[in-house]
Amino acid sequence: MLQRYIDHFGAWAVVGTILLTVTFLIAPIIVSILMSFDARSYLGRFPPTEFSFHWYARFFSDSYYLTGLKTSLIIAVIAASVSTCAGVCAAIVLDRYDFPGKQALETIFLSPLVIPAVVIGFSLLLFFALIGVFQGYPRLLAGHIIITFPYAVRTTLAGLTGIRKNLTEAAMTLGANERQAFWDVTFPLARTGMVAGAVFAFAFSMDDVAVSLFLTSPQTYTLPVAMVSMMRTNFDLTIAAASVILMLFTIGLIIILDVIVGLERVIGGGVYRS
Amino acid sequence: MSVVQLKSVTKRFGQFTAVSEATFSLNKGEILSLLGPSGCGKTTTLRMIAGFEEPSEGDVLIADVNMHNKRPYERNVGLLFQDYALFPHLSVKQNVAYGLKRRNYDRSQINNRVGEMLDLVKLDGFEQRRPSQLSGGQQQRVALARALATNPEVVLLDEPLSALDAKLRQELRIELKQILSAVGASTIIVTHDQEEAMSLGDRLVVMSEGRIVQQGPPTEIYKNPRTKFVAEFIGRSNWLRGVLGPAVSNNLCTFEVAEGLALLVPKPEFDAPTYEVCIRPERIRAGNAASTDGAASVNRISGTVQNVAHLGADIHIVMELASGHRFTISEQFIGQSMDQYQGLLECTFFPSDCIVVAADS
Repeated sequence: MLQRYIDHFGAWAVVGTILLTVTFLIAPIIVSILMSFDARSYLGRFPPTEFSFHWYARFFSDSYYLTGLKTSLIIAVIAASVSTCAGVCAAIVLDRYDFPGKQALETIFLSPLVIPAVVIGFSLLLFFALIGVFQGYPRLLAGHIIITFPYAVRTTLAGLTGIRKNLTEAAMTLGANERQAFWDVTFPLARTGMVAGAVFAFAFSMDDVAVSLFLTSPQTYTLPVAMVSMMRTNFDLTIAAASVILMLFTIGLIIILDVIVGLERVIGGGVYRS
Repeated sequence: MSVVQLKSVTKRFGQFTAVSEATFSLNKGEILSLLGPSGCGKTTTLRMIAGFEEPSEGDVLIADVNMHNKRPYERNVGLLFQDYALFPHLSVKQNVAYGLKRRNYDRSQINNRVGEMLDLVKLDGFEQRRPSQLSGGQQQRVALARALATNPEVVLLDEPLSALDAKLRQELRIELKQILSAVGASTIIVTHDQEEAMSLGDRLVVMSEGRIVQQGPPTEIYKNPRTKFVAEFIGRSNWLRGVLGPAVSNNLCTFEVAEGLALLVPKPEFDAPTYEVCIRPERIRAGNAASTDGAASVNRISGTVQNVAHLGADIHIVMELASGHRFTISEQFIGQSMDQYQGLLECTFFPSDCIVVAADS
């Protein structure tokens, strides 16, 4: 009898924890979304009494934000492309070949995940000063490639390790050489993992503040950096509008992916298992 | 004409010898079962024929061509993997067509051949399905169709039925044999299941610890296993260890097992320090049934019944002899009462049903 009460309590505790977590995850976002449509021209109390698009209008008329958005998009697209290509190559090497130091190499590839972004940003700043690079774009790009690369490696590797080696062998007994077996079997099966890597890379690049803060120049800064500096100097709800726009890009990307490859396959492991 | 020939093939992985001096050949249209416990080197042998492993020593010949340094795609070998290895991202049709495409058949040839193969494995109408939408048995048939589609010189089956449940396995065993003989495929089946090996194979090659211990037709190996390993691996058996006594006729001699337990056995054609005798459970008759054929040449033993298990068509009786040996007897169930199998039971078997092998030291 007591055992049953304990079980019941356990079940309710789990449900409660989940509800609480969801609330904490969603509530702040909902607040900022609602506030971004606030019709008042000052930072008023939640909830807004009337709705309008005037914060968005301000966002799109402010060249400071627009420059940031443009820079963010350019950097995110290039960084995601570069780190996906490099990550796919790295993952293939790690998955298919055995060589001394393989474990160490994998750890190095994934190290940006555990090294604090602030440390990466600061180190890069020192490094670029040392070699005399002071322009914003190359510095930001390098930083973003470094922080997004591990995601590309990780997801591609997860996709590749799920592919049984005997599929390649089957292709070979059927007349395919190693290269053909790779393109016919391995690549299509790992593709969802690669795409997932690219999505994560893009999202993390769009989102990054810590590394970018160190690497921006007065002319070249990303949208999140612009939001941080606006928050310090000129705090108003344009930042909420900017947040929503930032979110829209990621959500839009996920929707596009869902249409193209199916969201479940991208997020849910990205691995075929028959 | 032999399709595949192995000439003293040895494969070493570092210090470990996986296959040692394997020599056998596969004739055209024949089904050969490569039988042995796991780790006996049978899969390595298969992989050397397919071209995934290169022999350390010896030669593999396919259609009289030495396969030395030939990659898998330079050989014409069909391989059915244990877990089928169907391409999950391709449809049934695309799976079967893959080998044809890679071997440069043209489109109409591919379509014809795929239709033919799916017809053969009774899967027409399934062309557009994905492997994940098929049952285990259907997946196996797709894999088989894929392996057979390119008309391979030799078809290799790696534990073809082990992934299926027991009932399905029996059905598919018959079907597999029908399909293979319908296309006249020269086939090597690797298996650890003696029933599978015996029912599918025209010939058995028994392997143990990397070596081929015996090869021949299934019946021959079952009747005359050359070693204790073979006898134990193929079929059930009762064992008695003893000393060979004097000959009683041209081909029979006595065999002393223990005080008061002596048998008549066929005279062995080899010398060994000690011998062991194997009697198959189904060759032993409970009661006096065998005595009508001439009392002199019949072995009689008696023991106390310990357990009777009625398994449907068969009855398994375990009895303990006065010497302490345990014997299993298998009787056919023909409606008799189980009551007769209790207490002290007398059994008979012919000397010719005793298999004499050299005892392991």
